[in-house]
Amino acid sequence: MERITVEPKGIMHVLVVEDEKKTASLIRSALEAEGFTVDVCHRGDEALEAGRTGAYDGIVLDIMLPGCDGLSVLRELREQRKGTPVLLLSARGAVDERVEGLNAGADDYLPKPFVLAELVARVRALGRRGSEAKSTTVRVADLTLDTVSHRAQRGGKTFDLTTREFRLLEYLMRSAGRICGRMSIIEKVWDYDFDPGTNLVDVYIKRLREKIDDGFDSKLLHTVRGAGYVLKE
Amino acid sequence: MKIRTRLVLWYGAILVVLLGIIGLGTYEEFVEHAHGPAGAVIPESALDEAAEMGLWVGLPAVALGLAGGWWITRQALAPINSLTEAIQKIHERNLRGTLPRSENGDELDRLTEVFNAMTTRLDESFQHIREFTLHASHELKTPLTIMRGEIETALREENLSATQKERLLSQIDEIERLAKIVDGLTLLTKADAGQIQLKFEPVRLDELVRENVADAKILAQPHGIQVDLAMCDEVSIPGDRHRLRQMLLNLTDNAIKYNKPNGTVTLSLQRGNGSAELKIENTGAGLAPERQAHVFERFFRGDASHNSAVEGCGLGLSISQWIVTAHGGTIQFVSEPNQTTVVTIQLAVS
Repeated sequence: MERITVEPKGIMHVLVVEDEKKTASLIRSALEAEGFTVDVCHRGDEALEAGRTGAYDGIVLDIMLPGCDGLSVLRELREQRKGTPVLLLSARGAVDERVEGLNAGADDYLPKPFVLAELVARVRALGRRGSEAKSTTVRVADLTLDTVSHRAQRGGKTFDLTTREFRLLEYLMRSAGRICGRMSIIEKVWDYDFDPGTNLVDVYIKRLREKIDDGFDSKLLHTVRGAGYVLKE
Repeated sequence: MKIRTRLVLWYGAILVVLLGIIGLGTYEEFVEHAHGPAGAVIPESALDEAAEMGLWVGLPAVALGLAGGWWITRQALAPINSLTEAIQKIHERNLRGTLPRSENGDELDRLTEVFNAMTTRLDESFQHIREFTLHASHELKTPLTIMRGEIETALREENLSATQKERLLSQIDEIERLAKIVDGLTLLTKADAGQIQLKFEPVRLDELVRENVADAKILAQPHGIQVDLAMCDEVSIPGDRHRLRQMLLNLTDNAIKYNKPNGTVTLSLQRGNGSAELKIENTGAGLAPERQAHVFERFFRGDASHNSAVEGCGLGLSISQWIVTAHGGTIQFVSEPNQTTVVTIQLAVS
């Protein structure tokens, strides 16, 4: 059984590669506020240089970069057997880039414009990569999800889930403790690469809440206004 | 009346007049020949002779002349006809210097040359507009990302009052809306510029429709709207799965948003001869006939007074139309105000 917890890690050293200076400094200050140490560079070739040292616990890598684009940086690093976890920032809707990125060895991606809080959460998750073997049962607090039977259980009650509800719950549980932005949920659960302009996510979250939270004193599914949703104790 | 018919008629009339003059001349000639100076009694034989000549020589000559004229005008007008056909095939996407020239320097060749130059200029200005919108939507993304980040950073500050917080959050909502519009605009301008490649593969349209209906039912529930799938034939079409799903969600979402409370949305997918027909019907207020023609235009809004509460980016139907046409299909919007509104899509099956 897999137990997902939010344990504090040692200080993570992160490289942020983003050519847009203001965006880069926003990412830097958000990460530093969470206790990371951050280096920033604005060009692809500089990123390659810095990445080669292997001194980082994670890299936030924009795809559109001067000097050498993000995908080439990533490929080059992987070719040199640098396994530093990489979070790609890609334009929304650029599915091909994303698929290419994951094939090139990216560990995660985030579509722009992103939610800063989500970016921070994803970077933190980069540090825990590898320990997250996919098991068939996921547990958060007293909520368990059987990924084979698509059934959830909490406090002796069993809930049947539709396919979509199941995928949403699985995604939230596997990201437990991390903020999941609406766009990320749309992409990961519905596999849409566009903002559908509907309240699809909110409606499904509401249904899910009725199942797993109604009638329990401690709520698990929380709304973070302006950012998204988070499942946590 | 066609130019050709008109020319030939004129030509015929001239020939007839000529025939008359020649006939008159011949007649004079005959009279003079028989009696010396004119003015004497007209002999019958001269009139007969002249009439006979007119009949046996003049009329065939006129007929031959007309046939010749008919042929010559055809020769002369044929290039104009082919020019017309070629011009007919021109639309905003294939403007650049497309008409073939004869290069013989005649009037029509010159016309073609001038026409080609004009379409090239038009093409350039279309290109400029497209590039402008493309750049504009791209340039807007970075400031939006920064604004969003700045507000999020501001929200982290501890001593914010509830109203300050609410204000910042409402700004984030507006930024999200703007981001949505920019997204839609980028997609459409890229499509206009031919920069989007659809990935065609065999797609089971019926499966996509069923999946869409499941989501639509849940979306419609809070509004008390019922979603039915009246018919769902098994249909496979060559298509881009991703885009078709986008189109389905756009259209059903519209059918729910613009419906009346406790209304219904009915979908049906029917396999016809070589094509699939998808119908999405809703019981909303609909649109007056004169406004229906504009429904696929970008940023079109139905009656603002009716739909002020409905949020959307105003590009959903334009995007759906693009997706359908990119699949070689047709999309139609027919509305009977306050009764039913039906969107019908025809797509070729594999």
